[in-house]
Amino acid sequence: MDSRALLDPRVLLVTGKGGVGKSTAAAALAIASVRTGRRTCLVEVEGRQTMRALFNTEQWDFDEREVRQDLFGLSIDPEASLAEYLAMFYGAKRLSRLVVNSTAVEFATTAAPGIKDVLLIGKVKEMERRRDADGRFVYDMIVVDAPPTGRILNFLRAPEATTELVRVGPIREQAQSLIDLLLDPNRLRIQLVTLLEEMPVAETADSADALAELGVQLNPIIANRALRPRMDQAAAKVFESGMTAETVQSVLGGSGLEDARTATALRELGERHLRRLELQDEMRAALRAQTQVPLFELPYLATRSFAENEVSLLADVISAAVSGDEVPVGTDPEAQR
Amino acid sequence: MSALDEARRGSLDEIVDGRHVIVCTGAGGVGKTTTAAALAIEAARRGRRTIVLTIDPARRLAQSLGLSRLDTSPRPVPGVEGLDAMMLDMKRTFDEIVERHATSADRVERILDNRFYQQLSASLAGTQEYMAMEKLYDLHQTGRYQCIVIDTPPTRNALDFLDAPKRLTDFLEGRFLRMFLSPGIAAGRFATRAVGVGTGLFMRAASRITGATVLDDLAEFFQSFEGMYEGFKDRAQSVYHLLQQPGSAFVVVSSPEPPSLREASYFLRRLARDGMPTAGVVVNRVTVTPGGELGIVPPSHIAEVAATMDLDDDVERATAALLTLALEARAIAARQQQAIDAAFHGLNPGRLIEVPLASGDVHDVEGLRWVAERLVASRS
Repeated sequence: MDSRALLDPRVLLVTGKGGVGKSTAAAALAIASVRTGRRTCLVEVEGRQTMRALFNTEQWDFDEREVRQDLFGLSIDPEASLAEYLAMFYGAKRLSRLVVNSTAVEFATTAAPGIKDVLLIGKVKEMERRRDADGRFVYDMIVVDAPPTGRILNFLRAPEATTELVRVGPIREQAQSLIDLLLDPNRLRIQLVTLLEEMPVAETADSADALAELGVQLNPIIANRALRPRMDQAAAKVFESGMTAETVQSVLGGSGLEDARTATALRELGERHLRRLELQDEMRAALRAQTQVPLFELPYLATRSFAENEVSLLADVISAAVSGDEVPVGTDPEAQR
Repeated sequence: MSALDEARRGSLDEIVDGRHVIVCTGAGGVGKTTTAAALAIEAARRGRRTIVLTIDPARRLAQSLGLSRLDTSPRPVPGVEGLDAMMLDMKRTFDEIVERHATSADRVERILDNRFYQQLSASLAGTQEYMAMEKLYDLHQTGRYQCIVIDTPPTRNALDFLDAPKRLTDFLEGRFLRMFLSPGIAAGRFATRAVGVGTGLFMRAASRITGATVLDDLAEFFQSFEGMYEGFKDRAQSVYHLLQQPGSAFVVVSSPEPPSLREASYFLRRLARDGMPTAGVVVNRVTVTPGGELGIVPPSHIAEVAATMDLDDDVERATAALLTLALEARAIAARQQQAIDAAFHGLNPGRLIEVPLASGDVHDVEGLRWVAERLVASRS
């Protein structure tokens, strides 16, 4: 599978180790999805309101709202899904209100922790199946900012665990249809996000194995914040073979930057840069050795933080890849603006 | 001088020297385990008998600490005199507690076999935090260690570490659950009977959500647990008190990015509210403003000089690249300092230690010593 297929499934569950930029990647995928002509819903499941800050909107809640043209936003919390679910199955508004406001929800969801996850996946499935008056799917793509890799296995196993634990009842019946969704590669895939660093790579490789065992389909792994080489090969070679701080000093003569401390600092920056690139290469090799899943890299943007602008630049990279345009290595999306 | 400037001059020197329990906490992926291990190495170096309790160390770091995934008892760290390391296994710790405290062998077996217990001990949110507390209590009780450094679980929210034990004990104590579990009702008939005699809307709703069999498992679980609740609660309370003592210290760990800084500041406030002894904040992997003129002249000047380089010449092209790297490092450093200032504005973190970004991964004792030196270095 190459990167052109990144946006092929209708549901993407985006996961990764804490701190790798999972939410950034989810938002960038959603924006790229809209740019390539897909009506898209971006779903937040842990109620952290990360997306609210990113898109600079009101609080996200259980109502799907259009936050940008063709981009809808939704924040699912289990209590709201439970209320909707009960109303759907029993038509019992009164009962559902009563239940949701009572400790019964806490009781039920603590007694069988997977139920919360089943409700979340259930909501996603409902959106995936939803059709408009003309019979067309309402959403072409649903991007879910899913739980981190530490919890994703339990999350995905929840429907099956539920069928074991809960032997009767409507949740049991619904669980089977969720298992069908999770295992259908045309409908749903898992989007792993990593950094090219030791811990995230190790956890990503482990997760990729475990997920494959579960039978779910993986999208190409996104390597976030990949450092781009700032020196071409010839320049790097010259730098490494004997370009001392004194050389730097003489090149910069008369520029106001020719003092020894500045030259030493520049030399160190270069060494560090090349060392980190080398480390990234090792990490790419480690991922290749441990999983068969191809890698798709998003560049590190030095000057921006988590904001719509940055995510928009990353979405450019994804849209280009999906449209089959060349994204040459070393491209600096910041420089293009 | 602002509280933050004051805090920037602090170091963890006296914490490593004198505290009995050091808890490292913060969002996931910010270097909690590394910070905990570095502090432990430093405490041991100063001649204190030390143990570091870790939750989920990276493989190479675990190897350096002499830990293997299959082993959950204290092991000496190779090459570090006076330091033990230990990994927390949530399920096994829970099993051990049941074995130790259940009132009869028959009950132990009934609990361990219960499907609900199996799910609870492996996956209930908060169980891992509770078990970390139990282990801490154990290690403290043995009296073998002068310094116990503990790494908290990678929770969604750093606050879980303080809240989870209470949530778990509340749950086990089952105030509202036990209303339905009168001792006369035998497990197995419970759910049917409860629904049958119309215990009310509550149980009808609950069994609709979970299915009736879950309630049977639950009933058996709670009956087997009878008599153990108090112990759980007492130990959780003892640990909470131990953590409140001035001999304890919380080190809040963060990355220099806004999301984890936000959690760090939130946690600082929460620690203050609970009257917990806060040692300070460690911000890991901070990009340093480049030295010499590079951090002083206007960035536009650096860009102008870069533009004068002859790109047909390898050496000048390499130099232009170095200048670009300097501009980037400066921008990143400025953005990070802004984020740090914003996150702790109006707060007093006590001590604020910024550990510079190392050029490689920190995964061996040598790397940990490098981090430790920065944590305890005085910078006044």
